[in-house]
This record gives sequence, structure tokens and C-alpha cells, in this order.
Amino acid sequence: MALLELNDVTKLFGKLAAVEDIDLQVEEGEILGIVGPNGSGKTTLINLISGYYKPTRGDIYFKGRKISGLRPDQIARLGIVRTFQSNVLFEGASVIESMMISSRLQYKTSDWQAFFNTRTYKDEQEKVVGNLLETLQLLDIFNETFRPAAALSHGYQRMLGIAAALAANPSVLMLDEPTTGMNHEEAMFVVENIKKINQQGITVLLIEHNMKVLLGVATRVVVLSFGNKIADGDPYEMMSKPEVIEAYLGTETV
Amino acid sequence: MIIGRYYIDQKSVVPKIVIGAVIALLALVPLFTTSMVTLSTLISSGIWSIAVMGFILILRTGQFSMGQAAFMAIGGYVSAILTVRLGLPYWPSFLAAGVISGIIALGIGLIVLRAGGTSFSIITIAFGEIVRIVALNWDDVTRGASGILTKPPAPITIGNFEINFATNLVPFYYFMFFLVIASALFFWQIDRSRVGGTFRSVAANPVLAEHLGIHLMKYRVIAFTMAGVFTGFAGAYYVTFISVINPLIFDLWKSVQIMMMSIVGGPTLIVGGAIVGSTVLYSLGNYLTQLPVANVQYLVFGAVVVLVLLFLPKGTGLVDLWGKFWRKVFKEPEEYEIPGEFSQEDEE
Repeated sequence: MALLELNDVTKLFGKLAAVEDIDLQVEEGEILGIVGPNGSGKTTLINLISGYYKPTRGDIYFKGRKISGLRPDQIARLGIVRTFQSNVLFEGASVIESMMISSRLQYKTSDWQAFFNTRTYKDEQEKVVGNLLETLQLLDIFNETFRPAAALSHGYQRMLGIAAALAANPSVLMLDEPTTGMNHEEAMFVVENIKKINQQGITVLLIEHNMKVLLGVATRVVVLSFGNKIADGDPYEMMSKPEVIEAYLGTETV
Repeated sequence: MIIGRYYIDQKSVVPKIVIGAVIALLALVPLFTTSMVTLSTLISSGIWSIAVMGFILILRTGQFSMGQAAFMAIGGYVSAILTVRLGLPYWPSFLAAGVISGIIALGIGLIVLRAGGTSFSIITIAFGEIVRIVALNWDDVTRGASGILTKPPAPITIGNFEINFATNLVPFYYFMFFLVIASALFFWQIDRSRVGGTFRSVAANPVLAEHLGIHLMKYRVIAFTMAGVFTGFAGAYYVTFISVINPLIFDLWKSVQIMMMSIVGGPTLIVGGAIVGSTVLYSLGNYLTQLPVANVQYLVFGAVVVLVLLFLPKGTGLVDLWGKFWRKVFKEPEEYEIPGEFSQEDEE
């Protein structure tokens, strides 16, 4: 059974179907790329899985449990965490502060224990901060730990967004266009990091506009066009499929 | 906005020794003076500062409550009705005032905080008015516009030593002192703990916080309820101190005053800001009401708020002036040195 399953998921905005009858299986440990031209429903799909939107029709299952209809925080608690397209995390916070705030799900101690600052809480906090520093090291932004998040360069800010999502202990990480506004080199930096994250045993769902980035990293690719799934399979095979080329470039009319 | 500047580093710039000295000095005030005016100003400012702390705690979650005086009214009415009309002893009624006010805050919060933002502020204004109108018209319970004359707590006798609230202000002063310290410890601890950080994250980026596993409503309601409990205590004690409660005491202007006190004191420090703001504005208000000009209080308060917003922007208030002064005098380095363009912005 697939880790994450979407059955005939449809999201209507008024009468417009942003996502229509999507069937999708995400297997454990893969890097699934989701591509499609602008407005094809990629971000809507992530919003549906993360609980930000409720599907109009259809169900979403995670580890056999129905998650459509849950709130985003409940879904995050189950282990599905996403990033956003915007750069700003928490205004005014430094990198480590943003990470500390994002690490809420790593704690098992209750708010009361945190309030009274008990020994168990202190020990746990020490462990969590250690984990956070490891995450920063893994993503190569360790040198920026004490800088204000707003002072980082664009690429580092995107990495911080991913690091913050990792701080929430995900088993499925959904990345919403992590390479927007980057040149090829920076994009490759992100790709390397995504591979590293995947090696930690985290399933990655990667939304991408740029086919070239996906080719280097995705183990499987799903192509969306106008809210419909038009192709699903190996990334290199996808490139040559006529319907994919059509979706990206339009049909030849000679 | 005013929120989201200090996430972990809650360290006050005021050194502990200075805070200790101020507390000791305030504890000794009744030894130096038993003057009515000084003591009653200090007692009232202390009580208002508790309400302001509650307001700032709600502000931490990004919500702007404009009905905090209503919770003081609820606390005040509960304690007055229980002691005067039902004849219960004072201290249990005082506790009941806080608890009932907290329960009402919980109920209201569960409904109103769904809206959040501007709608929340408007609904809390309406809530304040509802409480006032209910108090005005529910004659059987609240005695309507004439109000209830409250009784001071019964005298406590320990050996030969008698603590009599009815005859002098010193016991009132010391219980206020205890109440403020207890609330201050609570609010300070909650603000610097992980819960306080969660509140800030809810304010700074609700969507992201929710996707990182934080239940927004839960934390908004927690803050609102905590504020409700302590504001209820403050209200109950305030009406005992001024010995009367009627619907006019806790009107919209009082809610606005709580907000102004937090702005003037500075909401960056939950305890310091509340105490400085309420003391400054309450004393000022007290002085202004003695002037022969009618309603000059509104004008001056408005001007003070505008001046603070102009000269101490980004949520800093009078309490932050201390840090600047301290660093000037003792040439201590800035807490963080932030390179480049951000040094200006993040200057404390």
C-alpha cells in the first residue's frame, strides 16, 4: 500500500476545477516530482494534501488513514509537512530562532512542563536544539545560524524554509517550488540538499516548474495540465511524451 | 507590527539588581509615607498593570482585544454580588471572580477568536458594551445604574496584630503588591517559555505556524483565557479598593486606556511595559482630573500615545528607554551586533 494516496480528488473554485479527479500514489522513500505549466494545479494539490484546502470531492489517505478534512496542524502532526513559496518565515527572527519556533513538533513534553521549566523539558530542549543544529549543518546553512533570517540571501532563505519544515519532524516533505528565482548553480545546490534529505528516509514531494531540475533529482514524475494528471512515470520518458510536450509548448499547427 | 521581535532572548535589558532594588523600594513605600494620594495612586496603577499584562499576552498571539475592561467588570460584579448580596466571605469570592471571568473568557474566546484580526477587535468592543448594558439593566442582580457598594475584606487578626482593610490603605497596598508580583511572575514565565514563543509564532505567521503543527485556536484561546482570569482578579480587587461598582466604571474608555497603557509602556516587555505604562498613565490621569479643565484627560492621553508612537516606534515604549539610558551611561555593547543594513532596524 502506498504511503500517501489520493483518490479522485477534485477541488472546485466556483465552477473552475483547479484540480480534477486526481489519482496519485506516493511510495515511501521516493522523490516524486510534480510538474506542469503555470495554473496547472500543482500548488493546489499541495494545499489539498496539507489541509489548507478541503477537497470538494475525493479522499486523501496517509498510511491508510483518511486525512482529508483534518486541519493543517493535525496533518503536520501526522508527519506531512510542506514549505511555502514565500521567503519570509517569522518576521524579525534569526535563523536559529525560526528553527526553534518550527521545532514545536519535536517536543513530547507538555506546555505545562515547558511553563515550569522542568528537568525533563530542559533535557528535551537540549536534544532538540542539537537536532536543529544538525539540520542546519545538513543543509549547509550552519554558518548563518545566528544571523537574522531576513539578512540571508535568497537561496539561503529558501533553504531555511526547508530546514524549518524539517524541524517539524516530517516523514513526507512537500516542497513548493524550492528553486524559484535561482540560477542553475543555486538550483543545483538545492537539488543536492533534497537528495540529502531523501537519504535520511524522508519521502519528498517536489513541485517544480523547471524540468531540468527535476530530471536530476526525481525518481518519478507526475505531469499536470489544467488540473488533470496527464502523465506519470520515469522522468526521462516523460520528456519525450507528446502530451507532455503539448502541455508545455502547445500543439503544432502547420 | 509590534510582535515578533524577541523570540528567545527575553532577557530584559534592565539588570536584575535594579529590578530587585525597585521592588524593595516599592515594598517599603508605606514606611515612608501613608499619604492617601501616593498610596491610592500606586494601588490603582498596580491593579491596572495586571489588566495591561493580560492585554499584552493577547497581543502576543496577534489579537487586539478592545474589551478587557469588560473582564474587570465581570470580576468586580462577581466579587461584589458574592460578598455583599450573598454574604460570602471576601477571599473565596475574590477567587471566584477570577475563575468566573476566566470561564467567560474561555467561552467568548472559543467563539470570537475564530474570526481573529480586525473582526475580533470589533467583537470585543461589542462584548464590552454588552457587559455594560447587562449590568445596567439586570436590576435584580446588579442593582442597575446605582451599582453596589462593596465591602472591604474582613479584618485578619494574628495575635495582637490586626490587619484591617477598612481603616487604612497599607493592607490594600501590600495585597496589591502581592497580586502584581504573582501575576508578573506568571506572565513573565509564560512569555519567556516555549508557550510564549508559540504565541509569537501564531502572531508572526499564522499560516506557517499552523502548517508546522501549531493549533492556532488553542493558543489564542489559552492567551485570552489567561488574560481573562487575571483581569478578573484585577477587577475584583479594584472595586474593593474604590468600594463601589457600577456600569460606568468599566466602560469602553477603560478598555482603550488599557490599550494605551500597553502602548506607552511598551509591549516588548510584558511585565515591565505593563507596570511602567500603567503607572505613568494612571498618575498622569489622576493629576489631569484635578485640573479645572473638563475632559483634558482624553486630549493629553491621545497626545502621549502619539508621541510614544512617533519617537519610540516598532512596539518599543517607555520601558525601552531604560536600556538606551543604561547603555549610554555604562557603555555596554549592544546585545546583538547585526551587520550591514539591518543594524539600524534591529537596534533595541
